[in-house]
Amino acid sequence: MSKATMTADRDAAVRTTGSTGPRKRARLPGDGMAGYLFLSPWLIGILLLTLGPMVTSLYLSFTDYDLFNSPTWIGLENYEKMFSDPRWLRSVQVTAVYVVLAVPIKLAAALAVAMLLNSKRRGQGFYRAAFYGPSLIGGSVSVAIVWKMMFSDDSVVDKLLLGVGIDTGGWAGNPDYSVMMLVLLAVWQLGAPMVIFLAGLKQVPRELYEAAEVDGAGRWRRFRSITLPMISSVVFFNLLLETINSFQVFTSAYVVGGPNGQPAGSTLFYTIYLFDRGFGDYRMGYASAMAWMLLLGVGLVTVFLFRTARGWVFYSGDSGDKR
Amino acid sequence: MAATLVAALAVTTAAACGDSGTGSGDETKVGPATLRFSWWGNAERAELMQKAIDLFQQKNPEIKVTPSFQEFEAYWQKMATETAGGNAPDVLQMDFAYIREYSDRKALYDLKKQDGKNLDLGDLLPGLKGAGEIDGKLYGVPVGGNTWGYIYNPALFTQAGIAEPKEGWTWDDYRKAMATITEKTGVHGGGNYVGSYYNLELQLRQEGGLLYTEDGKLGFDKARLAKFFGEGKQLVDAKSALPVEKGVQIKPAHALESDLIAGDLGWDNFMARYDKGAKAELKLGPVPNDHADKQGQYLKPSMLLSVSQKSEHPAAAAKLVSFMVNDPEVGKIFGANRGLPPTNAQRAAAQLEGPLAAVAAYEEGLKDKFGKTPPAPPKGAGTLEQAFIRIAEELQYGRISVDEAVNQFFTEAEETLGS
Repeated sequence: MSKATMTADRDAAVRTTGSTGPRKRARLPGDGMAGYLFLSPWLIGILLLTLGPMVTSLYLSFTDYDLFNSPTWIGLENYEKMFSDPRWLRSVQVTAVYVVLAVPIKLAAALAVAMLLNSKRRGQGFYRAAFYGPSLIGGSVSVAIVWKMMFSDDSVVDKLLLGVGIDTGGWAGNPDYSVMMLVLLAVWQLGAPMVIFLAGLKQVPRELYEAAEVDGAGRWRRFRSITLPMISSVVFFNLLLETINSFQVFTSAYVVGGPNGQPAGSTLFYTIYLFDRGFGDYRMGYASAMAWMLLLGVGLVTVFLFRTARGWVFYSGDSGDKR
Repeated sequence: MAATLVAALAVTTAAACGDSGTGSGDETKVGPATLRFSWWGNAERAELMQKAIDLFQQKNPEIKVTPSFQEFEAYWQKMATETAGGNAPDVLQMDFAYIREYSDRKALYDLKKQDGKNLDLGDLLPGLKGAGEIDGKLYGVPVGGNTWGYIYNPALFTQAGIAEPKEGWTWDDYRKAMATITEKTGVHGGGNYVGSYYNLELQLRQEGGLLYTEDGKLGFDKARLAKFFGEGKQLVDAKSALPVEKGVQIKPAHALESDLIAGDLGWDNFMARYDKGAKAELKLGPVPNDHADKQGQYLKPSMLLSVSQKSEHPAAAAKLVSFMVNDPEVGKIFGANRGLPPTNAQRAAAQLEGPLAAVAAYEEGLKDKFGKTPPAPPKGAGTLEQAFIRIAEELQYGRISVDEAVNQFFTEAEETLGS
């Protein structure tokens, strides 16, 4: 949450308390208390369920906590160990490959579908629902199981591929394809970014296309010179969200590959390894340290994305269009 | 977001753990009590468990039992967090691979204190006596036992023109049979036996060794593991074992259930499960052995019942444990659901039919040949077994060489057993 929104929240709170009280716009000491009182469910929630545990986990990441015995302070040892832990390195690599593949493919697919569904067609509502549907059941275990079955040998996908002459011998058991299988599962669940793209596309003024068409711009040109720049802020938003989400892929990977990242460690995602360390090996200190490294990693990537965004994201304010 | 993950992780770890308190007064006196009883299993076992619990409550009206169950993996995750939070159930189902993990961390109650009072261990099968005992203290009582065996499809042996496995067949015979069957019938001869830790244990025991030494170190060296993994690599290269990707894909089903292989080494009571799934009629045979004088097999406690150190009613808890292993009615209810029953009375009462009768006969035949049950595996054994499975798999996929596999395993062993 940014500073700006927090200030906005506070302003809103002041305005509300000010207008509901009998003394209009008068600020008495009790007003603040009332505000905090109304906020208390949220405040208690964030203190007990978010901040408290986060501080605790930060502390535990410097200990050898094993769930049973009291934690002992070991300084940076957990963090140092990570870099020589082959499984940690593997999990970083697997996750990185997944993010690099899943995010662009999913966003491209979501945008493509959004553009198709943006034009007026019969049964438009049905298609939108159909494409959005899979993301509603996104994290579900059953979908991942079905997915795994579909990609096993002699199953639908294998037979289709064989039909066009490609023999992969089933993806689920093949370490070279297993991540791709999960990437496709993510792409299939493109509903959320698609809806956001759709909203973005609706904002693009039709006049621009009409003008471009008059000037003789083709489809691709219109897409590149009008659509993309006009929705660049939406693209950025989706990119950010999907990147952060992709770093934390868990359910589907756990169902397909289990805590060992089967087959042959090819689906040992960061979160899977973290979970296995904590709840399988009872090394909560190490798992906590891993969680903080993930936070750091995602933070760095986010900062990087924000940096590059300056060069290609245009907000409506930039062009003076305030509506 | 990442923050949520951190938070979620921390919530479960936040609960601090204090010192364990023991109940006041006479620990062996049973008074009115409510016991929490946790175990892993499925809906089928839940039904049987409820029947057994109802029976217990009928006979002990002053004790109330509230059961809860999960799948195996989820069970251990929950158990770890509950124990850490000082909220462990009174009675819990325990796995042989985890018993030292919990007892070393002072999470379990020494049932010796109840022995002869609320707990009767006199009727346990000879092979199971002493299982669950660590450093002179009793941390778990077996509720079932099983042993390693060879489960196979005799029709494929006939079809390939080779004799069914007989007492005294060697590991070499075993590999040859796998190759011949694969070649002659088109069905794979077996699963790759190097994927299982217990096959290594079997071979070590046949050579007079152990998987883990008494003081919790590895009972084998790099060269021995290299030999074991090397044999597995050969099976892959010769294509006489089921390809690993096939086995991974059909999980959690077993290749025998799906009629994909001619036979495999495994826990004998799994015979019933495979038999239910397989179209072929399965049989239980002797394990391969290069050393006629040492059988290598032993009766392993399939699962145990333990009492939490923090339980406020250790006497009542012990009574429940005793009931679960001794009462003939309970033996009848469970049959071989938890492995074959642990006591003579329960084995006699259990009406075993079909494949289960075969398992019972198999164990009866081995009764005098069983070796000593090994000491409870060291802390971290569960983790190390997972590592073994993973590394053996990578070897079969050809992602690492035999030497790399051996080195990886020893690195993990050092880290896991060292701490």
